[in-house]
Amino acid sequence: MASMSKADIGRILARQGILIAFAVFIIGFTLANERFLSPDNVMGVIRSSAILGVMALGVTFVVISGNLDLSVGSMMSFSTIVVLDLHDKIGPALAIPAMFAMTLCLGAFIGFLVGYLKLNSLIVTLGMLSAIHGLTLTYSGGQNMDIVDKEGTWFGVFGQGSALGIPVPILIFVALAALLGIVLAKTPFGRKVYAVGGNGTAATFSGIKRARVVFLCYVMSAFCVATAGLIQASRSLGSQNTVGQGLELDVLAAVILGGASLLGGSGTIFKTVIGVLILGFIQNGLLLVGLQFYVQFVVTWVIIILAVWLDIAAKRGKLWSNIA
Amino acid sequence: MKSDKFLEELTMTLRTTLAATAAASALTVAGAAYADGHGPMRIGITQNNVGVDSYQTTYEKAFIAAAEANENVEVVVLDAGGDVARQIAQMEDLIQQEVDAIIIWPTNGEAVIPAVRKAHSAGIPVVVTNSNIAEAGFEFVATFSGPDNITQGSRSAEIMCDRFKALGIENEARVVQISGQPGYTTAIERQQGFDDRLPEVCPNVTLVETQPGDWNREKSQQVMEAFLVKYDDIDGVYAGDDNMGVGALNAALAADRAEGITFVGATNFAVGYEAMERGEYWGSIYQSPVDDAEAALQSAIDLINGEELPFLNYFDTPKITQDNMTEFTKPVF
Repeated sequence: MASMSKADIGRILARQGILIAFAVFIIGFTLANERFLSPDNVMGVIRSSAILGVMALGVTFVVISGNLDLSVGSMMSFSTIVVLDLHDKIGPALAIPAMFAMTLCLGAFIGFLVGYLKLNSLIVTLGMLSAIHGLTLTYSGGQNMDIVDKEGTWFGVFGQGSALGIPVPILIFVALAALLGIVLAKTPFGRKVYAVGGNGTAATFSGIKRARVVFLCYVMSAFCVATAGLIQASRSLGSQNTVGQGLELDVLAAVILGGASLLGGSGTIFKTVIGVLILGFIQNGLLLVGLQFYVQFVVTWVIIILAVWLDIAAKRGKLWSNIA
Repeated sequence: MKSDKFLEELTMTLRTTLAATAAASALTVAGAAYADGHGPMRIGITQNNVGVDSYQTTYEKAFIAAAEANENVEVVVLDAGGDVARQIAQMEDLIQQEVDAIIIWPTNGEAVIPAVRKAHSAGIPVVVTNSNIAEAGFEFVATFSGPDNITQGSRSAEIMCDRFKALGIENEARVVQISGQPGYTTAIERQQGFDDRLPEVCPNVTLVETQPGDWNREKSQQVMEAFLVKYDDIDGVYAGDDNMGVGALNAALAADRAEGITFVGATNFAVGYEAMERGEYWGSIYQSPVDDAEAALQSAIDLINGEELPFLNYFDTPKITQDNMTEFTKPVF
């Protein structure tokens, strides 16, 4: 390590452009409001981001495998509503596995259509976005779901509990990120996901069962969505049936911001986590700065573009280039 | 390009399927008797999006029940499913059927104006219910029946101020506001009512900041978390509806700061009512979808009977606080 040359440091920095961008924003917001980095606030932001983050972990697999998943928002509404409804009917201990099973079925169905039937993932999941929303509305009869006895249940532990002073949603997010990070980076399955997304035809000729890999990516995405729905339901013990609406775009933004290519074949779990945190801290930072909210939409966009630009600039070693 | 085509087809298929479902569920509730030799009044309604939330679901049920209870009235109940194009088609259907009055819950305040004008030219009076259309269409509307959002905002300010006076902090209290979705009339009007009224009744109370919670509980919880970090001293929270108010309350409870804060909302939801029962949430504005539906039907009946109605025909949305909540039944939504 001691013999690390200047070039090595440059190369490492170049690979972490998004981290540099992240650091720049953190410093900027801290200068604007000294409470930005207070432990309470940082903890609060990460906890709020955990729901989005857990969903982004699954979508990272789907995107690296060269596909899209626009159904995660309405799927999250579905799991939230289902687990809240079943909680009062069959108790939390049965409601949670039942909800996971139902959500995994949805994921398997999408995986079957995209993986085995080779249908375009954009169309399949865009269709599922409305179809699952309809399913949720039908299931709930348009009503909001609320757990009746909010004091007498242990169900709140996933969203409101904490262990060793750390909120449980953060623990779940970190644990799942570590697990899926290892799966993606260190296992044969992870390498197959990159191979399928990088060059599907070549992957097939190398004996990789492409359909199966894609199928499993969607099942994993559904698993993450179910986990996010569990945290969401547990956090407020009640929910509107549109709770996840629009989240699919935030999730996708976080994944892309983390540097995964929409064309597939690249991205990492770690960078997705950074993408999620950037989005979360921007939202919180703008609130703390107290910008008027119409302006916030514009500023959020500017910051995201800046982050992407810094990332690319770091990769090519200069801020501007004639070629690509 | 190819996928664009696919998308279009897919959207069309989804729309057709939805339309078929809606058509099957369109109801005609016939009155049993004829009044004085005339046929029953025929009133058509095209609703915004039944089933998307409990308010609209309850509204439809109450509307049908009120119509069934009146033997002189026959109603055609339609639902646009949130789709402007379908709502315009439904308006045209109702004009074709030559109903005596049309009630519309606009899916979009601008886009439905031509259809409203068409009904107006056909001599059919149009009642706009719940949320008004854009001003350009006012001349074609017989009456607007719905809640007065500005009054709701001012009443929330009064509830807040009265509470501060009772607590003896009306000269130093600091308030934050969580408003509805930016750009929505309801959100803008409630905020305006609150912003204008608060300094009139409690001139020494400071409104320190307003941020949107987008009618969303989770979003409001995040906004409130940021407020709690930013301000050490918050005495009151006004939220544009109870869903957001409860989100803010949850944030304060998690931070152990709910005790000293007066929470006031609008559109009393069941969650808000329950939080009031627990003593954590102070007050709100009681807006009943049943009153909303009955007022719309009554307006249509009055118009057909040739009565003069004010253009803005508001139904009353009273104040509800922990003190008088027993006079109100718990909201069903």
